[in-house]
Amino acid sequence: MSTMFADTILIVFISICTALLAEGITWVLVYRTDKYKRLKAEVEKQSKKLEKKKETITESAGRQQKKKIVTVVSRINNSVLFYPQVRMKSMFAIGFCFTALMGMFNSIFDGRVVAKLPFVPLSYIQGLSHRNLLGEDYTDCSFIFLYILCTMSIRQNIQKMLGLAPSRAATKQAGGFLGPPPQAAKFS
Amino acid sequence: MTSSSKRKEEIQAVNGGVKLSTWSKALRCRAAWDEKDEFLDVVYWIRQIIAVILGVIWGIAPLKGFLGIAIFCVLNAAVLYVYFSSFQQVDEEEYGGLDNLLHRTALRLKQTEGLFLLLFRRSEWDRGASRVEDKYTRKRLNQSDPMHCHCDL
Repeated sequence: MSTMFADTILIVFISICTALLAEGITWVLVYRTDKYKRLKAEVEKQSKKLEKKKETITESAGRQQKKKIVTVVSRINNSVLFYPQVRMKSMFAIGFCFTALMGMFNSIFDGRVVAKLPFVPLSYIQGLSHRNLLGEDYTDCSFIFLYILCTMSIRQNIQKMLGLAPSRAATKQAGGFLGPPPQAAKFS
Repeated sequence: MTSSSKRKEEIQAVNGGVKLSTWSKALRCRAAWDEKDEFLDVVYWIRQIIAVILGVIWGIAPLKGFLGIAIFCVLNAAVLYVYFSSFQQVDEEEYGGLDNLLHRTALRLKQTEGLFLLLFRRSEWDRGASRVEDKYTRKRLNQSDPMHCHCDL
């Protein structure tokens, strides 16, 4: 009983540490660079501008007004295209670190039931939640599933607490760094 | 006087003539918000707090299965709806509509669910842990006993 509890606490702690590590690496390689700061400021400025323009646009808005919106959207698209380039270094570094770390943790927790789920997961998730575990009791939880759940809840909260999460306007317009850019066509 | 400073004075007047911190405004009925993002942040953190509290309660209850998760989602949405429509009385359209406030507030529902499930399962470990440990202890003892046949538990 105490072993499983200790495993759970340890995995939550690992999740917090890896989230902080990922943000730390990203801060060193990306967030503190002038290029990223300029890019982020530009996207946020244009996004806020676009939000204000969208609020005032009406059905009978003139071509001039719509053209201005298209210009703003194009500027955002152009800035967003640079995000992957700027974050490339940190993505490689994080990928490399996490591959090594996950390999290590998987071998440590291999075959160990680290928690009991209060539900039976869907069949396509059981491969993850019951990974490398003995028996047919699918409420037994493996390390990787608990880690994913912890990361899902903890990482974004840590980003928000540290003030590293992008603003809502920027996220909405940019669609996330890997998402498709906003469509200018609907304003033309 | 610029329009932004005039607006700030109006907001202060609604808030009782004093500059309030974000959480003071969150606990104040019908507070006026300087920035939309500020209010959305408050809603986001309230969701996290609800997830933590309900996760622990569900684990202690215990409320198992997807029914528990579904009830959590409904309760989460209901509490938030009461908060921003009755307590804060904000205009939903100003914040992108009901869908945005309930589902898309600051980084989606899944983060809240993740926190809820984490606390939910943590409270369940006590009930399940002893059963699991017994099963694996018996298996280890059987394997180490040369006289015992190797059969599945």
